[in-house]
Amino acid sequence: VTDIPRVVPCPEDDDFMTAFDRILSESMLQRNQESVKPQTDIVIPMNIKGGNKKVQTIPTAFLEPKIEEQKNTINFVLMTRKGNKQQFKSLEVPLMSDLAQNLKDREKAERAE
Amino acid sequence: EEDEEDQYYAKDLPDHACKYCGIHDPGCVVQCNVCKRWFCNGRGNTSGSHVINHLVRAKHKEVTLHKDGPLGETVLECYSCGCRNVFVLGFIPAKADSVVVLLCRQPCAAQSSLKDMNWDPEQWKPLINDRTFLTWLVKVPQEQEQLRARQITAQQINKLEELWKENVDATFQDLEKPGVDEEPQQVLLRYEDGYQYQNIFGPLVKMEADYDKKLKESQTQDNIEVRWDIGLNKKIIAYFTIAKSDTDMRLMHGDELRLRYLGELHKPWSGVGHVIKIPDNYSEEVGIEMKTNLGVPSECTSNFVVDFVWKSTSFDRMQAALRKFAVDETCVSAYIYHKLLGHEVEDVILRCQLPKHFSAPNLPELNRSQVYAVKHSLQRPLSLIQGPPGTGKTVTSATIVYHLMRQSNGPVLVCAPSNIAVDQLTEKIHRTGLKVIRLCAKSREAINSPVSFLALHNQIRNMEGHSELHKLQQLKDETGELSSSDEKRYRMLKKACEKELLEAADVICCTCVGAGDPRLARFKFHSILIDESMQATEPECMVPVVLGAKQLVLVGDHCQLGPVVMCKKAARAGFSQSLFERLVVLGIRPLRLEVQYRMHPQLSKFPSNFFYEGSLQNGVYADERKMEGVDFPWPQPDKPMFFYACQGQEEIAGSGTSYLNRTEASLVEKLTTRFLKSGLKPEQIGVITPYEGQRAYLVQYMQYNGSLHAKLYQEIEVASVDAFQGREKDLIIMSCVRSNEHQGIGFLNDPRRLNVALTRARYGIIIVGNPKVLSKQPLWNHLLTFYKENKVLVEGPLNNLKESMIQFSKPRKLVN
Ligand SMILES: [Zn+2]
Ligand SMILES: [Zn+2]
Ligand SMILES: [Zn+2]
Repeated sequence: VTDIPRVVPCPEDDDFMTAFDRILSESMLQRNQESVKPQTDIVIPMNIKGGNKKVQTIPTAFLEPKIEEQKNTINFVLMTRKGNKQQFKSLEVPLMSDLAQNLKDREKAERAE
Repeated sequence: EEDEEDQYYAKDLPDHACKYCGIHDPGCVVQCNVCKRWFCNGRGNTSGSHVINHLVRAKHKEVTLHKDGPLGETVLECYSCGCRNVFVLGFIPAKADSVVVLLCRQPCAAQSSLKDMNWDPEQWKPLINDRTFLTWLVKVPQEQEQLRARQITAQQINKLEELWKENVDATFQDLEKPGVDEEPQQVLLRYEDGYQYQNIFGPLVKMEADYDKKLKESQTQDNIEVRWDIGLNKKIIAYFTIAKSDTDMRLMHGDELRLRYLGELHKPWSGVGHVIKIPDNYSEEVGIEMKTNLGVPSECTSNFVVDFVWKSTSFDRMQAALRKFAVDETCVSAYIYHKLLGHEVEDVILRCQLPKHFSAPNLPELNRSQVYAVKHSLQRPLSLIQGPPGTGKTVTSATIVYHLMRQSNGPVLVCAPSNIAVDQLTEKIHRTGLKVIRLCAKSREAINSPVSFLALHNQIRNMEGHSELHKLQQLKDETGELSSSDEKRYRMLKKACEKELLEAADVICCTCVGAGDPRLARFKFHSILIDESMQATEPECMVPVVLGAKQLVLVGDHCQLGPVVMCKKAARAGFSQSLFERLVVLGIRPLRLEVQYRMHPQLSKFPSNFFYEGSLQNGVYADERKMEGVDFPWPQPDKPMFFYACQGQEEIAGSGTSYLNRTEASLVEKLTTRFLKSGLKPEQIGVITPYEGQRAYLVQYMQYNGSLHAKLYQEIEVASVDAFQGREKDLIIMSCVRSNEHQGIGFLNDPRRLNVALTRARYGIIIVGNPKVLSKQPLWNHLLTFYKENKVLVEGPLNNLKESMIQFSKPRKLVN
């Protein structure tokens, strides 16, 4: 019982994997057939942008792309929308994730310039 | 450790605990927006996290994060368009800031949509990775936690999801309850009431439906090349070839297939069409007529995928019929109700004026047993008519319908399980001068039949007046589509016309399942005749019956093929027994039509003795079944039949799922060529073979290796026994391919199938097979012995056929 949980292959699991692939491709296809008008500009409010960080609604800590060495994560802000009202939520993204890696690469590139 | 697990469940779990494993850390769980259940983002021992398992299996696609999780209560949706389908959502980061938004892949995250310079569409990353939500969005429970939680297997997950479809409150504990994994309840001979009837047949219908669904959905085939064409009705038709096998379900006209384009030459596309052509002796191609011409990538020819679209319609209609039979006491007369349930009911003779002449206008005069059957069915509320092959079953049925119509005021409903049988009967009834409507499924309207002109959708086109409808129809035919307001108007007008026509009809003909068509929902039919009723499952038969049956005539022959039931579990529970058969077992004596007009008397001998207790009389003389001018070396000139012994090897066909036998194929070709040379026409010949592999091989082989023009062979019908049921050919050549001791479809084992195979021919029959292998089976041993005794078990070259000296054991006593 102390073993780590690992995949037990069985027909039901195979069916699940097939069904997963299907739902994925069906969903994509469905999107192509729907007529959706995307919003073209997604504005990041100035107070969230790099320089101006002193906003009351969001704790400062969220906005600093500060690397917390011990936790191996980096803080992002997830921007969501309720009606027309923007909302901001702090998101801890692991350093090893693509998202964090890309950000770091970009920063490195900017510094190099 | 087990204690620890028990303790875990002893506590009452909060609502937001994973419904599979019980984990309830708010950061690890999400709620399904559709069913409101919570699931964790741990995999346990499956290939995806629990929440993904649920979403995929339940086809739910939207979720919300827990309020106590790091992000608080958050509905996952596209920032831009609000789309909530998690399977198309992903993250996209701002170029310069550590800000992310959720966007759907299409169209919001697409390059062209994001004009905003702040965002980098190339960085879009899906929300679901490796069949788990991104772990920094929804945490994965610690390993320790997962091990302590309930260890649920994929099988159990599957079962739980199935249970939820019937009972939303089902829990893991219900899985252990008896009944979940057990065999279904067996069908009975007698039922207490309609509820018990429904309680037994309902689950069987569901079982068969589930099996059928699984089968269809697992049949996706890729790398399909498509050839495009345009039909007479201007609709686009796609032709392509797919691999087929014996055990898979059969592809039929009207089935739905979905084509998807995966190539690069066109944006992704998918479209649905109805099958209008299946593989036949002309080509192996399948043809589907697309539902709409819009957006069809007809410039592309490769990189397509074919999915089989499963439809629940027929099963839904059966379930509805069972329900109606249980709860609606006006759906059938009390007599029919009790009779069908197997109760003792006193005989009833209907007061009716019997016609002076029993034969109907423009139909052949009836013989004695036919007249008796007609008379009996007019006087009784319930009759069974058994029509052995060639005994004029269709004419008798049409005559009964004619008189039923003349006696009653309302219209008569005429059904059969297969479209072919319905068409044959429709044609005969039409000849009597009655006003007949053939009601087709919408998906089959494009398919031609000899009675197309009687089809409701065609009769509407030919209706007098109704100029607005006709104009719209014309516009639709020409352009393919109507504007939405025109379409609405068109449908309304069409509906009114349909109603008008149906109400004025004397007889309405459709398949059993077709009787559940909403267009008939408000009709009551007191008189109902069901032909080929032994080929329908009970619930299928009930679809027409519950439309008001007071006088019911079931026509069939329980000695011929029964219904096709794909799910073995359901078949074992008795689902493949027809209503006709059960009523016979209950002691209702079927009226047997006794004179056969099809077969040469020598050909009817074995079937009559073996399947009909020797009761089949011949209505034709040997002289009338002599092939005039055809020079063929029959081993016994007065017996146009023989068993052609052949030791050819069977082999696995190219598809890997069927069998073929090259030696038999070459003998079949030689026989066919000989007959063609001696003046027989291709359409007089039918080649029967049980295996799809052999069918495809034979078609090819004859066309390429036959010494005559390929076109001649092309016109010869090569098909399975089942495809020949209800029909006849002058000459039948049967290729057995192999003995069927281990394989699934039970072709050579089923006496009823052999009966059908042996009774299709009018003038002559030749069976090509390996007697040594076949004689091991009692049934075939009987047949081989009969052929041997008649000195028509032969071998050698066609010009020098010699009696085979092969020895096989005496047949064991066989209980038929
Ligand atoms: Zn759900
Ligand atoms: Zn779980
Ligand atoms: Zn969107």
